[in-house]
Amino acid sequence: MSDTMPIEEYLAEGGVLTSPDNAPPRYRAELLRLMASFVDSELAGSAGFADIINDAPGISERIAAARIVMEKADHARQVLKVMGTFGADTARYAVHHPWSDRLARDADIGAERRGGDMRLSVLHYPLHGWTDAVVMNVLMGKAVVIQLKELAQVSYQPLAGIFRAILPREAHHAELGVEGLKRIVVTEEGRGAAREATAYWHPRVAASFGRSGSLRFEMLARLGLRHTPNEALLSEWRAAVDAELSALNMN
Amino acid sequence: MPRFHPLQVTEVRRETRDAVAVTLQPSKDDRAAFAFTQGQYLTFRRMFDGEELRRSYSICAGLDEGVLRVGIKRVDGGCFSTWANEELRPGDTLEAMPPMGAFFTPLEPEKAKHYLGFAGGSGITPVLSLIKTTLARENKSQFTLVYANRHVSSIMFREELEDLKSLYLRRFSMLHILESEAQEIDLFTGRLDAEKCAALFRGWIDVKSADAAFICGPEPMMLAVAAALREHGVRDDQIKFELFASSQPGRARRKVPSAEHSDRHATCEATVTLDGVTRSFTFPKHGQSLLEAAIENRMDAPFACKAGVCSTCRAKVLEGEVEMEANHALEDYEVRQGYVLTCQSHPLSDRIAVSYDE
Repeated sequence: MSDTMPIEEYLAEGGVLTSPDNAPPRYRAELLRLMASFVDSELAGSAGFADIINDAPGISERIAAARIVMEKADHARQVLKVMGTFGADTARYAVHHPWSDRLARDADIGAERRGGDMRLSVLHYPLHGWTDAVVMNVLMGKAVVIQLKELAQVSYQPLAGIFRAILPREAHHAELGVEGLKRIVVTEEGRGAAREATAYWHPRVAASFGRSGSLRFEMLARLGLRHTPNEALLSEWRAAVDAELSALNMN
Repeated sequence: MPRFHPLQVTEVRRETRDAVAVTLQPSKDDRAAFAFTQGQYLTFRRMFDGEELRRSYSICAGLDEGVLRVGIKRVDGGCFSTWANEELRPGDTLEAMPPMGAFFTPLEPEKAKHYLGFAGGSGITPVLSLIKTTLARENKSQFTLVYANRHVSSIMFREELEDLKSLYLRRFSMLHILESEAQEIDLFTGRLDAEKCAALFRGWIDVKSADAAFICGPEPMMLAVAAALREHGVRDDQIKFELFASSQPGRARRKVPSAEHSDRHATCEATVTLDGVTRSFTFPKHGQSLLEAAIENRMDAPFACKAGVCSTCRAKVLEGEVEMEANHALEDYEVRQGYVLTCQSHPLSDRIAVSYDE
């Protein structure tokens, strides 16, 4: 069984890599980018929610927000550990950006990344109080679940395993958001504020799915780092969000 | 960052004509660091002609054997594996990092599980560790091994496997697939490919009852076995892979030093290779990093943190000199080989040649 094949071909056919030693240069770089984007987004998401804990209207909401802050930081740590096996300085990485920094509410950055901060663009916008945070968490929570299902198929086995383990906890964060939203929309005033927040966050979360017809997608698909195109994931998200909002009589 | 520790070689046992099993002893202080989990590997380093080489080899010992042992098969042209097969002796010292890898599932002694193992050639090494450990620790579980080799003479750990068969008569079954040797049953001759898997799964192996499958071997075998398992309803999270990179990189290419008096200009002429394409451009020695210059020149150079901590932008300097502002991600031996973090790199010489592809 000494017959082998080029690693690029192996990956294109769905092969799985298992250690940093196996990774060819472009694969290594794209995998690190993907992990950096996940870690930055989790740390920025966690940092954004930390400020919201004190806006919670009740004890269970407070616990839910604190849990989200804690678990997102833990998810970042797990993926950062994999980055460490490729040489990244994990201690320095965890503090190399001010994760709670946000742009102005009306800034328009599209889907752009900012400098070396790889967080998803939507996480650059500030949260305005409890209702706004809950709505953002509902919309983004659904997006995270869809994006994690995609990421759980990555061809790097140690990372795929982590994403699979994280998925149910992130799904729970999204459920906590829906629970919170249900409590908000019982009043007309709450429903109005939630509608307003939805109008603000919906296009910004949608932008985090990236461009349709992306050329990078093709390259990442050949490496086994992506499987479903951006536009398909986006429409899955739109459908899921529509269903959720209709159920809450928010459309 | 993991550190290297000295390990004393206590035994070098010849397994086949071109494979040895090497038993290692950590110092008293390092024993805890080298406590391993079944299926893990060790990364060794050694200097060859003034240049450091690092190689990973899987542990073949079970958790209850009380020893640390790895299998090393000679690869054609492989410096480290040839040296280990020909020159390594008991009493020698090897340097290794603590065990790494996730080619295992958690042990659950109270459960009765069915594991499938598929090994090709030296891919048996971590699978042997799994077999020994699971059968000893989970005494209701079963293990089915499919082991592919060229000939009978190239079967590694043959005796140990036979001993395991006698020890665990009802719980361990093993099928040898030999590529170029006729056997009583035709099915067991040839390659372990899609067709062979389909035939094995029809009558010989009950895939439906499997809780987890482990695959370690050459790339085409891993692809074929994984595809066949999925076709029979095995989920991705039930399949564990361990890939031995078949193309062992040779010696690192030496950097060409810059010619004397060549570093007089304020700008640098750079030749950058990325994804097999080489492009040349000129950029200022100060005020712009090599990464930024490459991106400005429409190259899709990889990066993430831009702070010298994540190593996404790593590339190798093939000619000339560059200086890094900060480096929190490359080890000294990588820097000696010419690797740089391009987000932190500024040229010192008037000409540089850099590759992201090495």
